[in-house]
Amino acid sequence: MTENVFKFQPRTNSASDSGSGEDADVQEADFMTPLVVQTDFGCTSPQPKTPKSPSKGGTLKKRHRAPPGSAKPEETRVLHTHGRRTLYTAGRPPWYNQEGQLKNAFVIGLCGGSASGKTTVARKITEALDVPWVSLVSMDSFYKVLSPEQHDKAIMNEYNFDHPDAFDFDLVISTIRRLKEGKSVNVPIYNFATHAREKTMKTVYGANVVIFEGIMAFTNAELVSLMDMKVFVDTDSDVRLARRLRRDIAERGRELQGVLKQYMKFVKPSFEHYIEPSMRCADIIVPRGGENDVAINLIVLHVHNQLQARGFKLRSKQAQSSHNGQPMPGTLRVVEKTSQVCGIHSFIRDKATSRDEFIFYSKRLMRLLFEFALSMLPFKNVTVDTPQGIPYTGKHLAVDKIAGVSILRAGETMEQALCEVCKDVSVGKILIQTNLQTGEPELHYTRLPKDIKDHYIFLLDATVATGAAAMMAIRVLLDHDVPEEKIFLCSLLMAESGVHTVAYAFPKVNIVTTAVDKEVDADFHILPGLGNFGDRYFGT
Amino acid sequence: MEPDVIPLSKPHEDISMPDSLTDNKCLDTYNFGSNFIRLPVSDGVRELHTVIRDKTTIRKDFIFYADRLIRLVVEEGLNRLPYRECTVTTPTGHTYDGLRYEKGNCGVSIVRSGEAMEQGLRDCCRSIRIGKILIKSNEDTHDARVVYANLPKDIHQRKVLLMYPIMRTGNTVIKAVKTLQQHSVNESNIILLNLFCTPQAAQQLVSEFPGMTILTSEVHPVAPNHFGEKYFGTD
Repeated sequence: MTENVFKFQPRTNSASDSGSGEDADVQEADFMTPLVVQTDFGCTSPQPKTPKSPSKGGTLKKRHRAPPGSAKPEETRVLHTHGRRTLYTAGRPPWYNQEGQLKNAFVIGLCGGSASGKTTVARKITEALDVPWVSLVSMDSFYKVLSPEQHDKAIMNEYNFDHPDAFDFDLVISTIRRLKEGKSVNVPIYNFATHAREKTMKTVYGANVVIFEGIMAFTNAELVSLMDMKVFVDTDSDVRLARRLRRDIAERGRELQGVLKQYMKFVKPSFEHYIEPSMRCADIIVPRGGENDVAINLIVLHVHNQLQARGFKLRSKQAQSSHNGQPMPGTLRVVEKTSQVCGIHSFIRDKATSRDEFIFYSKRLMRLLFEFALSMLPFKNVTVDTPQGIPYTGKHLAVDKIAGVSILRAGETMEQALCEVCKDVSVGKILIQTNLQTGEPELHYTRLPKDIKDHYIFLLDATVATGAAAMMAIRVLLDHDVPEEKIFLCSLLMAESGVHTVAYAFPKVNIVTTAVDKEVDADFHILPGLGNFGDRYFGT
Repeated sequence: MEPDVIPLSKPHEDISMPDSLTDNKCLDTYNFGSNFIRLPVSDGVRELHTVIRDKTTIRKDFIFYADRLIRLVVEEGLNRLPYRECTVTTPTGHTYDGLRYEKGNCGVSIVRSGEAMEQGLRDCCRSIRIGKILIKSNEDTHDARVVYANLPKDIHQRKVLLMYPIMRTGNTVIKAVKTLQQHSVNESNIILLNLFCTPQAAQQLVSEFPGMTILTSEVHPVAPNHFGEKYFGTD
């Protein structure tokens, strides 16, 4: 927390809000549309009455979800993305032990009242940890699906979203348990307009560290038992109220009276009855939230010690920085740089090359790449009969099933070339896109052959710069039980750093390319490189 | 039409060491000079050879594997064409030291089986001119006779990629090269693209045209003479 909470500075957008230490769920509730307060002031008694369960109904709810159509869609999406955001850093070391068993992830539970700064604490822990593959899961994703009746109530502001009954704890527990075991999970995407879950789910794969945050994070004993470390963010209620006032009035143009009434009637009772008592579960209480660097450093130190005790390798950062000058890994195989290969590279790297020629020459290069990669598969000796009447001893592939898996979008361009050298190859797809807010790759879509673990995999991406997307794709394949050594990462052009990153994390994955460039610039472009392959190929 | 001029009915008297048929290391010890080039033999290439030679291979697969082998030979052959160094600017604003191939090449296929290789060349060089030579051989006398030749007019100024997949005696190719020479093509400007070659064909061609570049993927005493018939489905 860096901002002065008493400075009533208008904020410009919701994205900056989310980083300012506010409770994301409250934020969602409030910014969409001005709150309609329908109660009289007589109810503002601060005496802690048991807040009503949402299913029992009756009282007015203090949280207002946007009626359909009232929210700006992009803002809604930003918030949802934020709540389910998975943070990744490059260079994840192997998380299988020698026997191929997954190690348990370290689960940090993060609880605190609304606007206490949970999100800021989570972000600061994530940054300071510098451990690859930290997943941040927000309790917001686990609101119950409302019945039509409840949905109507919610629209009338009579549904209590601050009650533990508003959350699907069974799903929370099973999700956190699977994440802890390192398995992939599908986190629901809650639509606050319809109060239902979206058809699509957000896939989160097992991470080394899982941070689970929410106002009710400590109210369920079974859930608490899954947490390796429980952190309570204890921000003074005056400060929290001040934040809410500043946000709601200065930024959202709401009336002071309404905000205060809402706070006194709903937020405060809920905090006092459920949230504050759960503080006694906590291992660490962080006063003042995200600005408490000492506390955060202590937490980070403890997590590091715990992870090291579990055998996680945390040397990725050193490995990253010491890549320079390191010899190329033994798993890297580069197509021989013949004059043809060099000539083709001259075409596809030249910015003056027309799109038509770019496609033509990149396809030629892909063909050479796949012929080269194919010859790296295991072969067996066979003897065949010939029409000439003599037996001939040669080779056959000792491999039954081969699948191509392309990393969309650029990897898709390589599928055809693979099919031209590999008969009856099945093709899967993985869509990984860079989150423009975090600059990190995110997995959006996977479609893989059913029995993928029985296949040798050609993983296709046109270029590999930092290796972050390739690593995520490899991670996906490993999660589907494909042995590491059966994966061949095939790319037209790679940067040295990307090669090192992938090889460090996955020392058995075969890396096949036609050229390795020295550098990657700040925008993750390979230098000298060939520009954005997908844009040049698709003409976008 | 036979891919080569020696009739198939002839026994394999040229096979002196049957064991060597299964041992390519033995065959690799042949030395036909620096203008005789063999495609680097990976396991993948060995599989292509095996499938093409296997008599149980169905035609669809045969074509698939033959086309792959042709493409590899063509790509390797293109490495022998002249180029000059050049520097290009990439979209990132940096420079790449590469090369540009010179213009002025052409392909010539020896009809019929050489035509199987035309598409492979076309797939690498989209607008390259391709001429044709049709050679018929007398099965009794083994004499090869040029029936038809249609070549680019300025062929003597060009590098020529001569295409013929199977060489048993080399007679057909010798006749074709002589035809090219009659069109004032210097033998040092000819690059022969070949898939399968017998040692004696290699020896004959090297001694007849020492300046010609010969590229093959396999030297083996038994040539897969069924190639053209099976590729074009006339077997």
